[in-house]
Amino acid sequence: MASIAASRIAALNRLRCNIFQTSYNPESIRTGAKYLRARLKGPSLINYYPQEINMSTFIKGFPDEGLVDLDEEQRLQDIIDKKKRGKGTPRKARTPQESRRNKKRR
Amino acid sequence: MSPNIRVLRDIKARHGVNANEIARRAYLYVARNQSLPASVRYQAQLQLNTFGRYTRPSTVKNRCSESGKGRGIMSEFALSRFQFRLKARAGEIPGVKKASW
Repeated sequence: MASIAASRIAALNRLRCNIFQTSYNPESIRTGAKYLRARLKGPSLINYYPQEINMSTFIKGFPDEGLVDLDEEQRLQDIIDKKKRGKGTPRKARTPQESRRNKKRR
Repeated sequence: MSPNIRVLRDIKARHGVNANEIARRAYLYVARNQSLPASVRYQAQLQLNTFGRYTRPSTVKNRCSESGKGRGIMSEFALSRFQFRLKARAGEIPGVKKASW
């Protein structure tokens, strides 16, 4: 059987790609097309967790209704009361010298 | 049950990925395209590196929506295997019941 020249096979492949509308890429160069072809995952990703309805998100949804989150109000009031009794959270350190973490290490 | 910090972080990642997906894909296309000049591909790769941590799809992890556990998750129900068992036995998952024959 007579051997076929490589150039003839290449020409055949080029013609074949032309007919079937596929891209002719004899050196298998990476075109990055797979990143464009791939399905977008974002829309399905954000729907993974079921949406939780609680009072704070409900109030955010209707800001004009004048709804009050009683639990949140109570929490804020408790913080104010604690601060009055000197039981509030400590002040944030302004300088590295103030930091309590450093004192422990020494 | 209120979500724990790991679940909140995962939700943040999911929204970040969703918001930046198209731009990231465009840069990925340029950076991985061998037919483009090397300098252009390099610039695209540098741009990709400027995206934040929570814009990469690999930072998203399926966690249990009930307990926040990260392992042993049945993705179809978004539940860990134990929470799945509890809910299935309580009849809270439609179409799931304990096998018996």
